[in-house]
Amino acid sequence: MTAPTRTPVEAPTFVGQSMPRKEDERLLKAQGSFVDDEGMHRMGYAHYVRSPYGHAKILSVDTSKAEAMPGVITTLVGDEVKAMTEPLFQFAPREDGSQVIEYLLAVDRVRYQGEAVAVVLAETRDQARDAAEAVEVDYEPLPVLLDGVEAADSSAPVLHDSLGDNIAWKSMFDWGEVDLALSNADHVVKIDKLHFHRYSSTPLECSGVLVNWDPGTDMIRVVSNNQFPMFGALVLGPSMGVGVDQFDFVSQDIGGGFGIKINNYTHIGVLALLSRKARRPVKWTEYRTEHHQSAGHGNERTFTDIEVPVMADGTILGFKMKAFDNAGAYLHYEPLGAVIWSQVVPGPYKFKHVQVDYTETLTNKCPAVPNRGYSRMQHIWLVERIVDLVAQELNFDPVEIRKKNYVQPEDYPYTTPNGCVYDSGNLPAALERVLELIDYEAALQKKKEAEGTGKRIGIGIGTTLDSGTNNFGQSRILNPELPFSGNGEACTAMLDLYGEIMLKLGTNPQGQGHETTAAQVAADILGVSPEDIRVWAGFDKSHSTYIGFSGTYASQFAVTGINAVIGATEKLKNEIITVAAAVFGVDADQVELAGGSARLKDNPEAEIPFIGIANMVFANNAELPHHLAESISLTCRHVYVPKFEVPDTDKKYGNLTLTYATQTHAAVIEVDEETGKVEILDYAVVDDCGKRINPMIVEGQVHGATAHGIGAALKETFEYDEDGQLLTSNFLFYHAATSTDVPAIKTDAIESPSPFTGTGAKGMGEGGGAPLHTICAAIQNALGKDAPIVDDSHNPPERVWRKLNWQGSPDERGVTVLSTSEA
Amino acid sequence: MLLASVDYFRPDTLTEAVEALGTPGARVLAGGQSLISLLKLRAAQVDLLVDITRLEELRGIEVLDDGSVRIGAGVTYDDMATSQTLADSHPKLSDVASFTVDAQVRNRGTFGGNLCHNDPINNFPPMVAALDGTMHARGPNGDRDLSAEDFFTGYFANGLEADEILISVTVPPLNGRAMGYQEIEIGEAAARAVAAIGIDDGVISSAQVALGCLPVPTRLPQVEQRLTGAQPSAEVVAEATEDAGEGIQPVADADASAEYRRAMAPVVAKRAVLEAIEQGGRHG
Amino acid sequence: MGKGPGPIHEIELEVNGDTIHRAVSARQLLIHFLRDELGMRGPKIGCDTGHCGACTVQYNGKTIKSCMMLAAQADQAEIRTAESLAGPGGELDSLQEAFRSQHALQCGYCTSGMLMSAKFLLERNPSPTEEEIREAIHGNICRCTGYVNIVEAIRAAAGEEVSA
Repeated sequence: MTAPTRTPVEAPTFVGQSMPRKEDERLLKAQGSFVDDEGMHRMGYAHYVRSPYGHAKILSVDTSKAEAMPGVITTLVGDEVKAMTEPLFQFAPREDGSQVIEYLLAVDRVRYQGEAVAVVLAETRDQARDAAEAVEVDYEPLPVLLDGVEAADSSAPVLHDSLGDNIAWKSMFDWGEVDLALSNADHVVKIDKLHFHRYSSTPLECSGVLVNWDPGTDMIRVVSNNQFPMFGALVLGPSMGVGVDQFDFVSQDIGGGFGIKINNYTHIGVLALLSRKARRPVKWTEYRTEHHQSAGHGNERTFTDIEVPVMADGTILGFKMKAFDNAGAYLHYEPLGAVIWSQVVPGPYKFKHVQVDYTETLTNKCPAVPNRGYSRMQHIWLVERIVDLVAQELNFDPVEIRKKNYVQPEDYPYTTPNGCVYDSGNLPAALERVLELIDYEAALQKKKEAEGTGKRIGIGIGTTLDSGTNNFGQSRILNPELPFSGNGEACTAMLDLYGEIMLKLGTNPQGQGHETTAAQVAADILGVSPEDIRVWAGFDKSHSTYIGFSGTYASQFAVTGINAVIGATEKLKNEIITVAAAVFGVDADQVELAGGSARLKDNPEAEIPFIGIANMVFANNAELPHHLAESISLTCRHVYVPKFEVPDTDKKYGNLTLTYATQTHAAVIEVDEETGKVEILDYAVVDDCGKRINPMIVEGQVHGATAHGIGAALKETFEYDEDGQLLTSNFLFYHAATSTDVPAIKTDAIESPSPFTGTGAKGMGEGGGAPLHTICAAIQNALGKDAPIVDDSHNPPERVWRKLNWQGSPDERGVTVLSTSEA
Repeated sequence: MLLASVDYFRPDTLTEAVEALGTPGARVLAGGQSLISLLKLRAAQVDLLVDITRLEELRGIEVLDDGSVRIGAGVTYDDMATSQTLADSHPKLSDVASFTVDAQVRNRGTFGGNLCHNDPINNFPPMVAALDGTMHARGPNGDRDLSAEDFFTGYFANGLEADEILISVTVPPLNGRAMGYQEIEIGEAAARAVAAIGIDDGVISSAQVALGCLPVPTRLPQVEQRLTGAQPSAEVVAEATEDAGEGIQPVADADASAEYRRAMAPVVAKRAVLEAIEQGGRHG
Repeated sequence: MGKGPGPIHEIELEVNGDTIHRAVSARQLLIHFLRDELGMRGPKIGCDTGHCGACTVQYNGKTIKSCMMLAAQADQAEIRTAESLAGPGGELDSLQEAFRSQHALQCGYCTSGMLMSAKFLLERNPSPTEEEIREAIHGNICRCTGYVNIVEAIRAAAGEEVSA
């Protein structure tokens, strides 16, 4: 079904206004409710025992000393979990049925530093912590495998005997005719290797679970900050042998998620089992070090053997390459990322010929999970590196080559080589605007003037796509047997007994302002103000309405959540009008809603306030025609379902995402030649997410995504040593971007409405990682052709310094050009 | 994140503090900005924390008769940053204290704690080394003085006995010298240099240069020799500091290799000297 | 107990104007005392090593990270948390109002600590430059806002003109 249309109201519209948020009051007054703020009567505190080794056999686990310590209630170890659960769901078992076998705690073997081996429950936090140290685990270290490319080799140590090798998933993606393009092109640019590094958004609040498995009702009540609880339920249910109907999920305020908190359902499972064993509620809050070691890392991807056919006029025909994704030790959401990137195969460009030989491997690193920009960011970074290097090597202007190869405004809706439909946009205008914001001409001049001063100026451009509302049918490209497709979200709009307006969402935001934007949209429909609408905060399975996709992730709320709100609110509006029309004795089209009442269009004095409508339905129904009293509930649920089909899994072809927001970034940087340190002198972003419901909230997301990208580009990385020890295991070593790292970010916006969403809005939020593309381009611009290419997404001073001091020959820089003509 | 079992004691006098330090496993708790972190990570084993943060005997910044400045070990970075006395006598000390780490740490972290902890990334050890500061310690057997060389003994180590406490540091007057302080920050400092330069009649009359971000703050006597008597020009300084990285053993971590840190030593040394030269002539 | 060395200590302190008497374990951090014992929600835990600043409170008028102080060290001290900012009827103070109008918070987890650091800055320096603001909140990590609107909010609270 198509998205519902909005009915215009005479009042000033709230949609489009930069209203301050409803959520803010409680958060500013420290009255938010985060998971650590909550408690349950007689709860115990849990503490995990985790592997210090990157790879080891578990010879034995002895909890007897721990259990004898003061305050200890009970413990749980892997063998117990194995005895009472099934292995966790895997997206893509092999054809012969073999798959990664993972239980909620480690069994027989540990495969990454920080993997949970056992858990202790005690009366106090301190007692649990002390007792965890007394759990004796006998390990036999095994060889550690860290490199995602080496892992594909048959000689590498094998992590999972059930697989026999380290291949999580492997496939060839091939659209167009890239070999023909390569042989016909005027130039072929070859790039040896590019590497997108491992990092994460490291939400400020770590994971937390408060769970009680009630022995009487067999209900599992979970207070947590999981951001996609229904996915968690779908995985945990079969593993734990419980029905999803036994789970009650509750969350109110969540301190950032960014995709990482999709994965913490594993803790919900372990701690629920612990609660059942102990017959006590269990509370657990994650340490920062645990979070960095085990919560989940963003995708780390290596691209090799990249060949790019380019015509003399700068048209880039496409590219051919191998991709290796380092999924870490277990597959918690992977290998979905191996398909998700194909939402943006040509990036923002009109490339027609693309071939990717894609391998996802398992290594002794923390499992990869969706991280802000999930899998599309890595791919678009690769695309932007290609465009940037093609421009540099073939002496094309970086602005002109982009404009030439961009999808043009008149091309939309634009179908990409694999059948994805880019809905709308205006990339050339965005690029022009962002260059204005950094005063591009002046920056070029500055660059010239800086030559020879010891500080080089670099100017970089990065264009990205923030694809939103994905078609889960793309999971079938991984595995045709998967029973997933489409997407959607649910909302209930209702009046309470005195006519109070309520919205209950299926989403559980972590700062995106859903209470406000939902209220803005509903207010316009009902003819009230957002202050008149109570949006229930957070997600509570006992009262929220939901479907399998419910949660807050993947840049989709403005489409899925908002359209669910619109649908539900329009249904409520129609019910209110129906009741009023019956009371007035007129047709429904004679009635409108304004100022909190239903009134006659041609006699506004004749009005029934919502309290009156509610009264008649809930407490006074003899005054209503009987058929209405039975059919009107004033509790209206709507599930928004975007129009998708199941993709062709053989051709890997189909529309995988409904909307494509764009962001175009530009940066002027200064590189200190002596130290390799990069300072950002100027930074600007032009965002286009179609119709913006609350521009201030949109801009806030742009700022946040930009800060995450800048942090990752220059300071943030998950580095392991050769023994599989995570070196950047907490904020002492992992340098999360601070207020002095992020510059003042200039922003502007374009609105290219999406033709597919009814409202014209597109999802946004993740951002698409553009700062990484931009800063790499800026550094490349500063380095020029005398240095090795910028081949890594992470560029701390030493990496830049080495390139500045490199003494090699031009064809050793990581890029070579073959030209067939003197073009 | 949670501490192991530990005892705590807050003595009312310095004498009580020294006595308490005689207990095996006792350790001074000053600002706590380093020690509490170690305890949370369970990287240090302490049985008794002796809290000296309220001892008046350890506070105060005063100018002595010869122009030296005595800084109490318990003086916080914020105290240093807001001290007019210090801003007048040793502005660079006050300046560094005003931007080190962050505001919350500055309100608690102590000068003495910074020196005793001797983490390579700490700001003050190389400053004290460059200034030839003297550390005054008190133990059960009385007081003694330690030079920078005797005080900074190794990686996270100092020359105090287990039952001694640092009570103050005396820093000689600048007498017209100016200071430079340069670092390369990659999350934390990866290289740092401090210089104190005196210029008379257009010639460098005295030079003290120390490197930080090393297991011990390290003076560079050869660099100092080359600079003394030389022209305060950029070329001279670059040449004089060229080999500042030779022989040093910086500790590598995820931010930068030892090779990079070694290569940066001459860069920060040069920059610190040039900064001091630029500042020169304005004090004394 | 008593005043000598030991694992348990009696403390008396003022928290947001209320006088509190408790016996605390020497090993307990102030952050855990404020949250678990007194039920405060303002100061929060975001890291293990004293870097994130989510636990920032005022201790005798100066900001500190309450995860880097023992509860026992707070004896005789005056502590103020973010809960102390709003008026008696729950009215947001001008700093909180500025945060709201400038959209200086998203998930809200850093906000309590950030407000305390902002307040400390403005008490000392009523007209800070942008650089001074960024330096003042350097010890408070935010992962949502990119700091842009936080800086704007603090400027607005300081009476500077900000863009709409």
